[in-house]
Amino acid sequence: MNPHDHPHDHPHDHAPIESPADAAPSYYEVMETSIRELLVEKQLISPAEIRHQLEVLDSRTPALGAKIVARAWVDPEFRSRLLADGRLACEEFGITFYDDTKLIVLENTAKVHNLIVCTLCSCYPRPVLGLPPDWYKAKPYRARAVKEPRAVLKEFGTEIPEDVEIRVSDSTSMMRYLVLPRRPEGTENFTEEQLAALVTRDAMIGVITVNPVN
Amino acid sequence: MSSTEMLLKRLPNDIGGLPADRIVQTDHPLLPWEKRCHALADVLDFHKIINAEEKRRGVAALGSELMGKLTYYERWAAAFANILFEKGILHPEELALKMTEVERRRQMELAL
Amino acid sequence: MASTSTLGAHIVKAMGEEPAFKVGHAVRISVRYPVGHYRVPTYVRGKCATITAILYSGVNNEDEGFGKNVGAKAHYYRLAIPQKDLWPEYAGGATDVLEIEVFETWLERTHPL
Repeated sequence: MNPHDHPHDHPHDHAPIESPADAAPSYYEVMETSIRELLVEKQLISPAEIRHQLEVLDSRTPALGAKIVARAWVDPEFRSRLLADGRLACEEFGITFYDDTKLIVLENTAKVHNLIVCTLCSCYPRPVLGLPPDWYKAKPYRARAVKEPRAVLKEFGTEIPEDVEIRVSDSTSMMRYLVLPRRPEGTENFTEEQLAALVTRDAMIGVITVNPVN
Repeated sequence: MSSTEMLLKRLPNDIGGLPADRIVQTDHPLLPWEKRCHALADVLDFHKIINAEEKRRGVAALGSELMGKLTYYERWAAAFANILFEKGILHPEELALKMTEVERRRQMELAL
Repeated sequence: MASTSTLGAHIVKAMGEEPAFKVGHAVRISVRYPVGHYRVPTYVRGKCATITAILYSGVNNEDEGFGKNVGAKAHYYRLAIPQKDLWPEYAGGATDVLEIEVFETWLERTHPL
């Protein structure tokens, strides 16, 4: 989208925020554009708000969640704060919850494995992970994660032993969930940055674990 | 319980536990309009013009055929239109005219 | 947090301020069929659950779906339901659970007073 590397205390024209000129817009793209333009004409929203929110969305990626996880792995007091109030702990890093949702961080242990899903729609911790993958929003995952989590995990290549309890969290209101994966073996001397590089989006959804080194 | 009863009793998005296929681990980078659509939803929620729960209701209210055949953000766009009409914020005619105008403008840009 | 006993005063909370349920309470998720919008999936209705957390106080999200952004609040709870109680053919650990958030008006007490 538009690079905004200059201050906005002066009005000036920006390039329009439309698709590349070589692509014919689909019916629904035309609908989105039309709704937006009408609402702008009626002064109910502004183009600046849309542009700004695009920047917000671009800035929220799994790298944020990975940093949180890495910090929790190295700092036991941060870990405690994170488990007590996920949103408050994320806010220590400047990760704001612009959508007013709250965060529960679910700790994986030797005895418990957590998995998150939204069966009714696609609730997902967007402020700290960015936008969810297509499969998270599609029927197979949403229908089956609650009913057969172990089979679902197997499809992601994850085998959880029978004696490990699986907890599936179905988001239905303002809570959002982030899985705190187990720190892999062999990472005792890793820097926080190196640890964060191991943590993937899928591990924070809970469909995979963070792989041990070697 | 008749099947027509279930059509209203069970929303088309209420699929937890229903039989379903293998998970296909697809993902796609959002098209620019899809990302704009997401930004629009967020801005509408900030203003409470359409809050997030209204959007969810609006998507489910499209019914199972539209939900099944439209892509994720196409459903949002359709839901926004319906909700804005319900609230009297937009009129169907003005949206239709604007859509014609936008389409014509885009065709002209393509022709350049 | 000050209690009435330490202040020596009788403090009455407004309706809805006190959560109806406590952590550890046994509840049953109601069976009803709201037309148009709901946030309690069919698969958990009628099931017995245990409160694992009191989440927050807010407007009923089913009303929010029809545009009610502010108004009387009640509590949302995080509940745990044993998976074996949800799915007859559940294949997995005996202690596997499903956790879900439910608004107060959908919950009935089953624990003794």
